[in-house]
Amino acid sequence: MSATTTAKLPRWPWLGAFFAEESRAWLFVVKSLLAIYAAAWLAMWLKLEQPSTTMITVAVVMHPHSGMVLAKSFYRALGTLAGSTFGLALIALFPQQRELFFLTLSLWLALCAGGATLYRNFMAYGFVLAGYTAAIVTLPAVGNPLNSFDSAVMRVSEVLLGILVAAVFSDLLLPQRLRVVLRQSARTQFARFIDFVRESTGGVLPRARMEQAHLEFVRAAVQLEDLRASVIFEDPEVRTRSARMRLLNQRYMAAATSFQSLHHLINRLQRRRRDAVAQALVALYRPIGEALAVAPPERHEPALLTRRLRACVATLPAHTAALRVPFDQPAALLEFDTGAALVLRFADELADFTAVESSLRTGNLRGSVERVHFRRGNDVAGAAVAVLRTFLTMLVLAAFWLASGWAFGGSAMLLATIFAGLLAASPNPIAAATRTLYGYAAGMAAGFVAVFVLLPGSDGFAMLICATAGLLLIGPYLATRDTLPGVGAGYTLGFVYILALKNPMVYDPSHFLNDAIAQVAGLGLSGVAFMVLPGVTGTQWQRRRQLRLLREQVTLAASAPLAGLAWRFESVIRDLLQQTVAHTRPDSDESRHLLAWSLAVQESGRAVIELRQDLSGNELPAAAREAATLALTAVAQLYRAPDATRWQAADAAVLDAIHAVPRGAAVRRHLYQLRSALRDEESPLAAYLPAPETVDAA
Amino acid sequence: MPPEIEFYGVLLPGLLPVFLLSFVLMLLLDLAIGRLGLYRRLWHPSLFRFALFVCLFGAAGLLLIH
Repeated sequence: MSATTTAKLPRWPWLGAFFAEESRAWLFVVKSLLAIYAAAWLAMWLKLEQPSTTMITVAVVMHPHSGMVLAKSFYRALGTLAGSTFGLALIALFPQQRELFFLTLSLWLALCAGGATLYRNFMAYGFVLAGYTAAIVTLPAVGNPLNSFDSAVMRVSEVLLGILVAAVFSDLLLPQRLRVVLRQSARTQFARFIDFVRESTGGVLPRARMEQAHLEFVRAAVQLEDLRASVIFEDPEVRTRSARMRLLNQRYMAAATSFQSLHHLINRLQRRRRDAVAQALVALYRPIGEALAVAPPERHEPALLTRRLRACVATLPAHTAALRVPFDQPAALLEFDTGAALVLRFADELADFTAVESSLRTGNLRGSVERVHFRRGNDVAGAAVAVLRTFLTMLVLAAFWLASGWAFGGSAMLLATIFAGLLAASPNPIAAATRTLYGYAAGMAAGFVAVFVLLPGSDGFAMLICATAGLLLIGPYLATRDTLPGVGAGYTLGFVYILALKNPMVYDPSHFLNDAIAQVAGLGLSGVAFMVLPGVTGTQWQRRRQLRLLREQVTLAASAPLAGLAWRFESVIRDLLQQTVAHTRPDSDESRHLLAWSLAVQESGRAVIELRQDLSGNELPAAAREAATLALTAVAQLYRAPDATRWQAADAAVLDAIHAVPRGAAVRRHLYQLRSALRDEESPLAAYLPAPETVDAA
Repeated sequence: MPPEIEFYGVLLPGLLPVFLLSFVLMLLLDLAIGRLGLYRRLWHPSLFRFALFVCLFGAAGLLLIH
């Protein structure tokens, strides 16, 4: 059924792209149909009661984003097992008390929907399935009290069969490997960062360029982590490299932070007309650019770059001493020392970064590496709203079902369950629910034609396929169109669900129509619930909360236990920025504001952590230590709730600490860096500056 | 091995523990093969994994149940 039959003419380049896209789409269609029919056939062959449950499961599970297949099936399996275990336990615990049963089930479904919003990768899918499985296992059993347990066990087998078939088909039939994507994007990221560092040795980076680069680096870091977390299931080889890839990403983030801090410092010095110091720092920084300047064929060869960088790091202290000579004022010395320490730190981190990349490329994976983790910044309030919404929806449906004795309440609840989870994470759930509803209605109309026009004349499994395949393939095909999100999934589900394939088939128009009404009601209600309790993903409210969370990372950097704090800080701020910025328009005021805050948080937070590490390590007079701790607290408070008085308190406390700490201590340099970050006119903290004045450090 | 086993009053197919055991065995083999880098020499790694699992489960099932 592939559409790539015509020769690709170079005269029409769009034709080639069109066929490439179409063949991907049809590959998904063929895979989905094969999986659905194979599931139906196996379910009938194994004499399961309702082959339709297996088919629905396959329809829920098949997704056009191929490649991440195994990651999905791992979480799918976990979700299904959790859901079916819970469903069986529920049936066993409350066989007679319907009220308690529904209360517990609603709570479970709500928690699953909440979990789905909390995770953005395939764990979300596992949560959706945990809810769906619990519902599909228990709901039909409620209407069948005499052998509810047997019916529940039967549903578990049907769902598990569906999961198994979907996983096998999507993994074995022409899978698209993510490993290739991962390797490519890791290389591009490496090359871009190296190029950027080399090209910016001139010293001055305009603010806009810096923000753009920051966004790009953050995105790259988060994407690499997402890919790594998915590929790890696909490829056992990646698993052995996983610890190193994590380390690579952390080194990358650390180097990017130092690099940006250094540029902020140089920019500030230049704005304050401290040109001599700024020029000296640029001169100190230039050898790094020279170390990276390799002729093109080996330009991004990490082993070579590591050697050159290490050689450069070795010469830096002598270079620093030479450049330091002309400065005699304490203020200029402090400025220079702070910048020189940053250059040294950056060169060191860059060399570490290229060293890890080189060991990954050559496959030299001997010895153990430091274990680091990429932490995510999750907003719990968003998940709490989803939990509440789903809980209320389910409770309303269950109460209506109980009070009215509606024979098809189970169908309505099941549909509401599936879509409450699937829609909760979507950026615009009401629009998504509407589109899904259209798709679902169209699917049911097609199902009506199939059941009452095409199927009655057919006989045998081959005829069943002939009668339904033409109408069914519309669903998976629509699912591959990005312009119509939700329609395809709705169509497929609507068609397969209403088909209610049984062996032998039952033809009952009144049952069909009643069931259809119940399903539309369930789906509609889950959409209405989003109007009553709107989704919070990506809303202004959540963005404001995430910005506050981002700022509070500095507070956390000043107070949390130091072990592993640097890694945690670097990953959480990036994850938060990536989540929030995805929902703002690029180049809008809001997105720039967010970026500016993120840069400020990144610089100050890192300085705070370095400062604390210095404080815990070396011997300082008690008074100096106390002053530095006070300064940390004041900065933390400023970032928790920025205003003019807190800014003044922080500024004064940091200045006091600079005076209290003896000259030459590393703590002093970090304090100066904090103070200069506080007084940056281009950072969002500038809004709280009292009046323009120059920094008089020492 | 009996064709069906009792688990807290529920009858489960006797193949289920065999399935789980071969799954665990498969995970271990998978890890070992990945460590040795043998997957790089295969045309279709996931087909190989699937086939290996079918062989393990089939052999164990036939040996233990019959």
